[in-house]
Amino acid sequence: MTRKKPIEWIRLDNAAKIFPPTTNEKDTKVFRFICELNEQVDKDILQQALDKTMIHFPLYRTILRKGVFWYYFESTDLTPEVKEEYKLPCSMLYNQNRRNLLFEVTYYKNRVNLEIYHALTDGTGALAFLKTLIYYYLTIKYAADFAEGLPNLDYDATMSQKMDDSFIKHYTGSPKSRKIKLRKAYKITGRRSIDNRLKVIEGVMSAKEVINLAHKYETTLTIYLVAIFIYSIYQEMPDRSRRYPIVISVPVNLRAYFPSVTARNFFGTINVSYDFSKGDGSLDDIIRKIKDDFSQALTTEKLRVQMNRLIALEKNAFARVAPLFFKDMVLRIANSINDRGITAAFSNIGKVKMDKIFSPYIRLFNCFVSARRPQIAMCSFEDRLVISFASPFIGTDIQKNFFRILSEQGIKIAIASNVKEL
Amino acid sequence: MLHCEHCKLDIRGSHSLCPLCGGIIRGENDIEDDVFPHIPTIYQEFNIFIRAMILVSISAVVISFAINILFTKESRWSVLVAAGVLCMWISLFFIIKKKSNIPKTIVWQVALISLLSVIWDYSIGWIGWSIDYVIPSVCIVAMIVMAVAAKILKIGIRDIIIYMFVDGIFGIIPVLFIIFNWVNVTYPSVICVAASVIFLSALLLFQGDNIKNELNKRMHI
Repeated sequence: MTRKKPIEWIRLDNAAKIFPPTTNEKDTKVFRFICELNEQVDKDILQQALDKTMIHFPLYRTILRKGVFWYYFESTDLTPEVKEEYKLPCSMLYNQNRRNLLFEVTYYKNRVNLEIYHALTDGTGALAFLKTLIYYYLTIKYAADFAEGLPNLDYDATMSQKMDDSFIKHYTGSPKSRKIKLRKAYKITGRRSIDNRLKVIEGVMSAKEVINLAHKYETTLTIYLVAIFIYSIYQEMPDRSRRYPIVISVPVNLRAYFPSVTARNFFGTINVSYDFSKGDGSLDDIIRKIKDDFSQALTTEKLRVQMNRLIALEKNAFARVAPLFFKDMVLRIANSINDRGITAAFSNIGKVKMDKIFSPYIRLFNCFVSARRPQIAMCSFEDRLVISFASPFIGTDIQKNFFRILSEQGIKIAIASNVKEL
Repeated sequence: MLHCEHCKLDIRGSHSLCPLCGGIIRGENDIEDDVFPHIPTIYQEFNIFIRAMILVSISAVVISFAINILFTKESRWSVLVAAGVLCMWISLFFIIKKKSNIPKTIVWQVALISLLSVIWDYSIGWIGWSIDYVIPSVCIVAMIVMAVAAKILKIGIRDIIIYMFVDGIFGIIPVLFIIFNWVNVTYPSVICVAASVIFLSALLLFQGDNIKNELNKRMHI
């Protein structure tokens, strides 16, 4: 008699389908969320907290398998084990020849690291997992301080809501086909390290100070930082490449536009760009253009159209019966064509909120993504804004430009990095 | 806390130069404040055993060609050697590719060995030993090996059931050889078909539900 598991197997959601074919050593599609506490992490308590958290997220107890037509997640008996950090950040989690869980929880000194393979979930979903993990960790470790009663965790979702494929849920039928413009964007190049090591540089600063700075330019935090990012890349761009625009890909959390509390992927991407051969290249002009791009692209209708187009591809009869190896080839080609039109990516997770009672124990939250080119990810917790650069290249000029623009305007920054040599 | 005057910012942990600009930094090193552990560089090299085997194969083929040309110009036996080495490598390639999944490897080898032996038989001038002996024996051997492997390696029933099912289907194909009178020696094919029918019946009777679920899972569109 075989024991019944909560979920035997489950299909991948629409966004997840792009990740397995395009994963390789150079671009592992793994992202890491970090919670730095105010004291050393206790391994045993973290393991207990992880075991309790797993009960709320059955999707994480799965491995990725290849079917004849599609990939799928299969339930497994493997249990996650907490280890001290021992691998390069964002190293491969999905290996098609091995059966292992698609996420890993490690710790180092005061930090709890959660690395997740992108096919499993997106930033918001991963954050929900991490917040639950920290919630259990703190309430177990400091049980005496919570004697009056445990606080609420602000993630209110039933099991079926968590497992929801929100893409399918909000699909409204075949869209009108539209000509897609393919414009070549400027590509950042550089020397890689021998073992494809990701160079991570994170900067911690006061959120209030940076928001005030953004207000001086009459814009929001995200737009201001994207503009500085573009300017930093421009400063390193060779003159003859000026005819190519700098295009930044920004993931958008669709849960803010369509009702959903899914713990799986539910994001879209928009592209914002600036062409230095057309504009005057001043920071004000860049901010103006980016503001314009954002307001045009961030409408529910535009996002719905993009979503519909992607899901229609998945539901197409010919696509469904094409064998997996053929789909993989097509997706790899489509991905590299799409990639030619993007210079870099900027991901804003937003404010991480935990119940006020946990504030004294937590120092900051941080996140970064593995990338084939320099990428920024940022999030904030209370007043601590953390901006992390992840780059496969040895050079750090773009990062230097970015942080100097902020520090020269009076922002106090403390940086940390995982690579000591240049 | 370390400080870089050029970048005008603080640096956590222990560094000998500024991670951003590579310039000189001032202040106290604080090893306790490092947020990432030091991971030494790892060199990934293509498996040395495989590389040695490739060299041995190339040498064997080249030497056999040389001897053929120098001493035994009448027959072209060195081409057979080359073909044999090639077949071995094709087989090995698929074993390495699927090695984590033993039942899958076994089924792929059944298909591969059958195909290669038919090609071999045809190129030598059709004798018929491939469909007489090779295909039936390979199917039966695979069934036995899978059943034994399932017990010894403790492979879960769900992981192996679909491959046993596929091998059972393969084992019924020799019935076509008998019907169309393609074989000279009939007893291997008869034994193979009989064993496969019994094997498949046992599978469907005792694991029918599991097979249905597995097929649904792997072939969902």
